[in-house]
Amino acid sequence: MHEITQTGNTKSPAYYIWISSLIAIIVLAGYALVMSFLIDMEIFEFSLKIIWAMAVSNYVFFVVSSTGLCMVSSLGHVFGMKRYELIGKRGVFLAIITIIFGMTSIGLHLGHPERAMIYNVLTPNIRSAIWWMGTLYTFYIVFIMIEFWFLTRAELAEIASNSTGIKQKVYNLLTLEKLLEKVGFIPSVEKDHKLAQIVGALALISGLSAHNTLGGVFGQTEARAYWYGAYYPAYFLLSAGFCGYAWVVGATIITYKIKGEEISRKLRDLIFEMAKIFALLLSVGLLFTTYKLTSGLFDPVKAKSIMLLIKGPFSFPFYLFEVAIGTVLPIFILLYSTRKENIAGVLTASIMVLVGVFVMRYDFVVVAQVYPLFNPMGKDALEIIPSFFPTLMEIFVIAGIIAGCLLVYTLGVKYLPLKEESH
Amino acid sequence: MTKNKGITRRQFLGGLAVTSASLTLGSTGLVEAETKRYAKLHDSTKCIGCKRCMSACKRWNKLKIDRAEELTDRETDLTGNTWVVVNLTRDVNNREVLYYLHWACQHCGEPACRGACPVKAISKLPEGPVVIDEKKCIGCRYCYQSCPYKIPRFDLEKRITRKCTMCFNRIESHIDPACVAACPVIALEFGLKDEILKKARERTEAIGGYLLGEYEAGGTDFLTILPAKPEELGLVIAPKKVVNEDLDKIRISGYGFLTAAVITGLMYIYSRTDKGE
Ligand code: SF4
Ligand code: SF4
Repeated sequence: MHEITQTGNTKSPAYYIWISSLIAIIVLAGYALVMSFLIDMEIFEFSLKIIWAMAVSNYVFFVVSSTGLCMVSSLGHVFGMKRYELIGKRGVFLAIITIIFGMTSIGLHLGHPERAMIYNVLTPNIRSAIWWMGTLYTFYIVFIMIEFWFLTRAELAEIASNSTGIKQKVYNLLTLEKLLEKVGFIPSVEKDHKLAQIVGALALISGLSAHNTLGGVFGQTEARAYWYGAYYPAYFLLSAGFCGYAWVVGATIITYKIKGEEISRKLRDLIFEMAKIFALLLSVGLLFTTYKLTSGLFDPVKAKSIMLLIKGPFSFPFYLFEVAIGTVLPIFILLYSTRKENIAGVLTASIMVLVGVFVMRYDFVVVAQVYPLFNPMGKDALEIIPSFFPTLMEIFVIAGIIAGCLLVYTLGVKYLPLKEESH
Repeated sequence: MTKNKGITRRQFLGGLAVTSASLTLGSTGLVEAETKRYAKLHDSTKCIGCKRCMSACKRWNKLKIDRAEELTDRETDLTGNTWVVVNLTRDVNNREVLYYLHWACQHCGEPACRGACPVKAISKLPEGPVVIDEKKCIGCRYCYQSCPYKIPRFDLEKRITRKCTMCFNRIESHIDPACVAACPVIALEFGLKDEILKKARERTEAIGGYLLGEYEAGGTDFLTILPAKPEELGLVIAPKKVVNEDLDKIRISGYGFLTAAVITGLMYIYSRTDKGE
């Protein structure tokens, strides 16, 4: 399976088609955004009652991925597992772009993102989970970027010294040589390693804490029975684990396949090891879901929302995406492919999980909002809410964000040293 | 309002003037002892459903007409531009009789929305009104999610969340909230909380009804006299305690941190399998 015959060439027509289609999607998203300012934000909302929809679920999807990527990659340079250092740089780079595009998603959802930055600092409300989440993720972004810099500095310097002209200037800039000279810091590979470990640990701590408060944003909301409780903070942390594995494994294999490079023995072994843990985490996730459903059915208010998943309008996405594509099938595929050493199987499973989780987040965010605790109209909420499906404009924006993420990753692979090699 | 209207109004307005000044300055520096707590009362058994309160609210607060209102007056819902609605409710045990319910922000004693707002855009004025600072709101809509009654609604044009302010800004004009002033049958009243509560209790007892807001969400400054229990009117009630208490938030996040610690521990144990290399 790993015998790749096609030679990798980033100048091939396929590469340009890929890049231009991503840009086309981003332009479409830009159009939707401009329209939202010209007309009003209504073009994004399909129901005033379900006021958190795809932008929020997409945000959750991306930041869960980022935390997971940070966890998986820190096994290498924070916990000192040599073999995980192979995927360290790619993992951290993906963690950076997923958190940044996740933040873009929530930023576009806010009515006034510009105020958020000002008043988060000027008038913090420490009783609010959203405030904690925003603040902790800001720290996380800073730490994880510094971590990435320490991981790649030496190689960036190497590229700089091997190139000329503009390219050399840009890479030199990235190594921050001038700045470091001024403050009298002489970087070395050993120092990089040590500091990457320290900053990586800080990134992990802030990432896990931020992620816990993200769960808290939902879990603390007593007025939303489906979200309320300690379940979601815990489950979010667990799901970060399998999302992180899905991203790292998926992105690594795809990149190698497209570039037509051969996966080294060491990396192959690691991929299959990761696949096993990935399957284990998915199984624990399945237990969590089962617990959520059964325990929720005993709670009269929660049960209504749970029934939407089991029997109601959400049952199709629930069974197909959340259960089948997102959890059960990938577990079997992973177990099978690790036994047969089948790389394509692992790749398929990780893509399935990402798709499943994406849909799951949407269900999770939307289902809870169907039944308010108090319904002054005394009507069945299902009668009031016209649709659960995102609007076209909303889909444009979210597609644009995903395309942006893929574009930056493609460029990252091209221009940054992300390759797996042990140092 | 009652006979001592003049006095209570002046006290109310005096207090509010200070508060609104301090609001703009971003502090709450009002001496608690000087403040009088006010409340609004709605008697659904008196309401004739004329919806004058709705239009008065729109006029005073300069709110847009919503599309739903243009199409029908059958049933309306709160929006960023409709801060109060009057809708028919029916007692399940006696389906013949219909009641009108004036529905708006309950001005909770310990508002869940205030605790949720990340930027402290929501404050509970010492006089009772819970108000959103529209210049500060970032439009995250978390207040809507946290409110047990789903009151604060997003204004898609202004990109902020808005709701009833109990007309705290009518101080210059020395008048009751717009809706209260507009009601032709005194189904809405406004006054000192103690007096209003006493009156409401007496009236509720007299008609054998239910007083909504006495204990709900920890007690609210908008009280509604209902002919029957809220669940019998098809209303799902809020818990009879403060919603979204800080301790509860800490408890839930505590479990989260515990999970994070366990995960880190497992990662450490897993990393020990690397010793050989
Ligand atoms: S009813 Fe809702 S919006 Fe009004 S004060 Fe209470 S929590 Fe806030
Ligand atoms: S929508 Fe506005 S008022 Fe409501 S919680 Fe967010 S920032 Fe605060």
